[in-house]
Amino acid sequence: MNKIPTICPYCGCGCGLYLHVEDGNLTGVSPIRSHPVNKGTLCVKGWNSFEFIQHHERLKYPLIKVNGEFKRASWGEAIALIASKLTGIKRSYRPDSIAIMSSAKCTNEENYLMMKFARAVIGTNNIDHCARLCHSSTVGGLAETFGSGAMTNSISEIVSAKVLFVIGSNTTEQHPMIGMHMLDAVNRGAILIVADPRKTQISDFAHIHLRHRCGTDVVLLDSIMNVIINEGFVDIPFIRRRTENFDAFEKVILRYPPDVAEKITGVSSQDIKKAARIYAIEKRAMLFYSMGITQHITGVDNVHACANLCMLTAHIGQPMTGLNPLRGQNNVQGACDMGALPDVYSGYQKVSESDIKKKFEHLWRRRLPSRPGLTLTEMFDSILDGKIKAMYIMGENPLMSDPDVSHVKEALKKLEFLVVQDIFMSETAEFAHVVLPAATFAEKDGTFTNTERRVQKIRQAIEPVGESMPDWKIICALSKKMGYNMEYRATHEIMEEVALITPSYRGILHHRLDSNFGLQWPCHDLNHQGTPFLHRKKFTKGLGTFIPVDYIPPAEETDKRFPFLLTTGRIYFRYHTATMCQRTSTLEREYPECYAEINPKDADSLGIKGNSMMRVSSRRGSIIVRAQVTDKVPEGTIFIPFHFREASANLLTNPAVDPSAKIPEYKVCAVKIELVESKRDQKD
Amino acid sequence: MSRIAEIYLPSKAKVIDVIEMTPDSKLFMVMPEMPFKYKPGQFVMFSLWGVGEVPISIASTFGVQKHIELCVRRVGHVTSAIHRLKTGDDIGIRGPFGNAFPITNARGKDTLFVAGGVGIAPLRYLINEVIKNKKDFRRIELIYGSRNPSEILFMDDINSWQKKGINVVLTVDRKDKDWRGNTGIVTEHLNKAKVSFKDAHAFICGPSVMIKAVMQDISQLGMYEENIFTTLESHMKCGVGKCGHCYADGKYICIDGPVFSYREIRQYNLNCTP
Amino acid sequence: MNKGMVLEKSKLSYWLRQLRKEMSLIGPMRGENSDIVFKTVENIHEIVLDCPASIPSPKEFLFPQKEKMFRYSKDGVENLRGNKGRLIFGVRSCDISAITLLDRFYGGKFVDDYYMSRRNNTIFISIGCNNPDITCFCIGLGSGPFLSSGFDIQLSDLGDRYLVEIGSKHGLEIIKDFIHLFSRPKKLDYDDQYEAILSSQARFEKRINLENARQKILSGQVNDSFWEVVAQRCFECGGCVYECPLCTCFNVIDRPYSPTDGVRLRVWDTCLFKGFTKMAGNIWPAEKKIMRTKRWYFHKLIYYPEQFGKFGCVGCGRCTITCPGRIDMATIASKIDMGDRRRKGGGG
Ligand SMILES: Cc1cc2nc3c(=O)[nH]c(=O)nc-3n(C[C@H](O)[C@H](O)[C@H](O)COP(=O)(O)OP(=O)(O)OC[C@H]3O[C@@H](n4cnc5c(N)ncnc54)[C@H](O)[C@@H]3O)c2cc1C
Ligand code: SF4
Ligand code: SF4
Ligand code: SF4
Ligand code: FES
Repeated sequence: MNKIPTICPYCGCGCGLYLHVEDGNLTGVSPIRSHPVNKGTLCVKGWNSFEFIQHHERLKYPLIKVNGEFKRASWGEAIALIASKLTGIKRSYRPDSIAIMSSAKCTNEENYLMMKFARAVIGTNNIDHCARLCHSSTVGGLAETFGSGAMTNSISEIVSAKVLFVIGSNTTEQHPMIGMHMLDAVNRGAILIVADPRKTQISDFAHIHLRHRCGTDVVLLDSIMNVIINEGFVDIPFIRRRTENFDAFEKVILRYPPDVAEKITGVSSQDIKKAARIYAIEKRAMLFYSMGITQHITGVDNVHACANLCMLTAHIGQPMTGLNPLRGQNNVQGACDMGALPDVYSGYQKVSESDIKKKFEHLWRRRLPSRPGLTLTEMFDSILDGKIKAMYIMGENPLMSDPDVSHVKEALKKLEFLVVQDIFMSETAEFAHVVLPAATFAEKDGTFTNTERRVQKIRQAIEPVGESMPDWKIICALSKKMGYNMEYRATHEIMEEVALITPSYRGILHHRLDSNFGLQWPCHDLNHQGTPFLHRKKFTKGLGTFIPVDYIPPAEETDKRFPFLLTTGRIYFRYHTATMCQRTSTLEREYPECYAEINPKDADSLGIKGNSMMRVSSRRGSIIVRAQVTDKVPEGTIFIPFHFREASANLLTNPAVDPSAKIPEYKVCAVKIELVESKRDQKD
Repeated sequence: MSRIAEIYLPSKAKVIDVIEMTPDSKLFMVMPEMPFKYKPGQFVMFSLWGVGEVPISIASTFGVQKHIELCVRRVGHVTSAIHRLKTGDDIGIRGPFGNAFPITNARGKDTLFVAGGVGIAPLRYLINEVIKNKKDFRRIELIYGSRNPSEILFMDDINSWQKKGINVVLTVDRKDKDWRGNTGIVTEHLNKAKVSFKDAHAFICGPSVMIKAVMQDISQLGMYEENIFTTLESHMKCGVGKCGHCYADGKYICIDGPVFSYREIRQYNLNCTP
Repeated sequence: MNKGMVLEKSKLSYWLRQLRKEMSLIGPMRGENSDIVFKTVENIHEIVLDCPASIPSPKEFLFPQKEKMFRYSKDGVENLRGNKGRLIFGVRSCDISAITLLDRFYGGKFVDDYYMSRRNNTIFISIGCNNPDITCFCIGLGSGPFLSSGFDIQLSDLGDRYLVEIGSKHGLEIIKDFIHLFSRPKKLDYDDQYEAILSSQARFEKRINLENARQKILSGQVNDSFWEVVAQRCFECGGCVYECPLCTCFNVIDRPYSPTDGVRLRVWDTCLFKGFTKMAGNIWPAEKKIMRTKRWYFHKLIYYPEQFGKFGCVGCGRCTITCPGRIDMATIASKIDMGDRRRKGGGG
């Protein structure tokens, strides 16, 4: 019996856990007690993270589709087929007719290799991953204001903070262990302000709960800043020394006094003032946000507004003081850091800057494209336009996660060639021409970067099941076949290359990650101990920039035909598109089917009772779900989790995207609701 | 080291016949490889390889034939798979588990059976048992409610019981054109029973909502709580008091039950209604 | 039984090395940073004895988180019961007390053959706690820090030597062949053990009176508004159950490898999940969190004593470490005991 320390594969908290191994079988997990994030605890997903690994439905060997049916193939055959197809498509069209989807579930090393594969081997910048769908507004938005799109503080600082302002994050459910630190802080006397239209577990503990209307975050934040300016809580020396563009910003803010905001957001001006004063006065104030801020057509605006608020009060650049986007997936931070994005290489180095491109060309010995590639949301449009002919998807399931699922389905069908590399046969994989079996986190080495920028090692606990292989080995094999030699003996050699070329990861080498649970980037050299909080003394980009933001209503507003607002999200027991959770008995059992939360008043007016089935339709589609009547959602709004294959909420959502980050508006769309009479006798 | 009984290991059994009773319930004739003795009210764990295991009450009468009969209503994952079984298929079976209906104390008294839907199945053996020893009991009555006439189960048995002098009241929620009998739910017909409630024993089985209503009503009609019995359902995984799923308020439904008196149900606050 | 012997510390590793030839040796080893985890001992000198409490509890060796029950195929069913001989070294007293109770739970009318077969092939060498962890409260429950019975072998650390007490046949078995390593105890050894017990008792941070809590619950002094506040803090992680040496619930799942071939597994399950009691037809008997929170506490504080005459808690303190909501047994029982009904029921 052995216990291998590694990192939870689910969320961005990055909890440390041991995988228990006996005779090559996983027999359980337990939390790492000395880990700074989870301190001996885990959430339900972490506790059950062992079950899916040796599940009987795991993909065990490569599959090639012949006459519409998958046939088992050898690795040699599969790799040869992919290499010749991709080479062919690259030649007969151009490199940019191929798109690559990397994965926030995979390691840093794998994401780095994938982006190297896209750029050096294929010759395209068309690489993206699901961060587009959750935090691209953060990456872009914070780059413009602060110069770095990551959590500024560390999780372990939370407990000592005095004010926690949580907006658009259902923390205890989505980032449970961060939620734990928050509750600890509240126990110690911190004041908790939660802004969320829904009642969530964390809002139960809030001293002030601001239930603003979905999609009005900008107004809420602007009016809070309006109060801060009008009541003289602005930190003027900070604004003078550290920031720019204050005047233009102030002009806009003055348009949002609390009484105006009250009308738009539905939050009383009293509460807005109270929240503003509490947040502004206390120095150790941490602002947290998550998908409730980012997944809007105004996602970048929302992020800017958060950043403005921090700068206005000088709540940045100190321990326990800062702006903290909570990243969703276990390695979404890392996938971004590694440059699995269409416009940057690793460490957010721009592909369009010629010295940087030259640097990479030198290292990789290939000419590289300089025009930024397509974002994930644009990729599917381009397939339908005939510009993209082939796609390579690693560990993602866009058919479930993408807004407007039917659109994606059509696109996938149209592809000349699709490769999917995954651990299970996903909905997306069904459409592939070749499916490659990948190894899970328990079957490989590498690193994940959690939401507080902590680069941590994951360690192989068991041999990969069947013939499955770690993603990095697959990429290497394929590159080689396509005539580009990628040779690494182990993942630490890949990390060495990352460190060589990525300033923020320069001091991050595997052997340094063994003690003290990794290092937080930026880590400038081999002696640097990592950076617990960012923007000390100056912002990453120099001066922080105020970016004025005005209110833009959601792309789709309610009207007579579609009178309800739909907002979507995750639930605690499920993760993302549930490919892993569905194979975990406990998690699967908790929510066997999709449901929709609806306010009792709305339910009454529609004749809907708890457990009735209702049809929810938007302009794009319609699904049938079971009603859960609860005051968790305000009147006029319903909530549907997006993890269910049978009733995919993303059939309804609006594919409208933020103009710059291209993040889709998952959080608001207009729907109508009808009661579905059940055929069965209601009595039993 | 002493040999330990393998309580979780199902033994093999064969489906020898399947009878469709109603659109959503089927009666399975199952021949266990290793026959076992059982009592009225007991259940078995019915295993389908690769799908799972569910508790099912034994609907047959011990000693009458070699096989056992199990009446299964299709409601979810495992029961749907069970419904796809055909004659000749192999299944696994463990049991019998649970306590049984206590009939000794009912001797010399009036006996009332109340059944709803598939609830008739677990009572069938008990009714046969009581009829076999008919002279030991006073009046024997059955009130049985179904959703509609076509869903009345075990009509042959009911006819034979009536012939043997039992007073049977049938009722349906929804009648069809041929139905001449009673309509409405069973509680509306309790007063048709000619038992002396103060001194009678009752055995009730059916959907939990019905059970609760009937228990309340007959105790109001004067029957003692400790003389009213029913069988409770709960999520079950082991059947032997280990997995914890059926545990409620200090009692394991699988080993302390599934048969409980109304008194126990109230005393332990056992969850018999959702 | 309880026979005493004395073993010089320098001879411990020799003894263990000999025993390891017969059965696999598991002991407290260094994990990440300051963590201690029980795993197969590769190097005997790396065993860490004076360690903080380990998580998870040693129930994992008798009732693993995931266990294959049997394999089924065309040819019938094959029991996959584990029966490897194991020696588990360095277990704490509270855990031995828990195992004594588990033996009763898994025994009884229906004997859980998976547990029993492992149990019959496992020998525990426990060690009295000279340094209780800050989370420990076995002292109020008689389940530690030193035991007078129930163990196979109990070591008491007396500085340069161990007092070795033999409490079972199994225990005697592993001493018999090495009797030359041990010497007879003198009065001084027992005096020193008593001193160790006294000094350990003085080090306890926590003293929780579960009996008072039980009485208050039974006499109806704890109302639902208290439990409501406790339940509100529950993250539904299941950690308290997974970690607790006395929680025993499991789920059963089938893993088909082909239509005719597969295995049935059992995995730890917890009553803190609402799906634990769900029934077909969309019936959720314990949909509200408060029902599940209460169930956990009532089982341990009320029903366990009814069934076994003992609390369903040995004061190991693991739930204190692992509960993200800070609504662990020690915190809540002392809140009940102290009569704290303030709004902030759980936590801090
Ligand atoms: C003592 C006893 C006797 C029973 N006798 C009969 C009978 O004679 N005929 C009959 O049709 N049904 C009977 N049931 C109910 C039957 O066991 C459930 O309908 C069945 O378990 C549902 O399983 P499922 O997989 O189809 O449902 P799902 O909803 O898919 O349930 C999944 C799992 O949950 C558990 N579960 C869900 N509902 C129940 C439940 N009501 N009882 C126990 N476990 C449940 C099971 O482990 C099941 O595998 C009895 C139940 C009990 C406790
Ligand atoms: S909080 Fe996140 S990282 Fe931690 S155990 Fe849960 S899913 Fe895993
Ligand atoms: S309830 Fe908590 S303290 Fe008590 S035995 Fe269980 S885990 Fe240990
Ligand atoms: S450990 Fe705490 S939070 Fe987790 S299930 Fe138990 S009581 Fe709830
Ligand atoms: S069914 Fe397992 S304890 Fe009752």
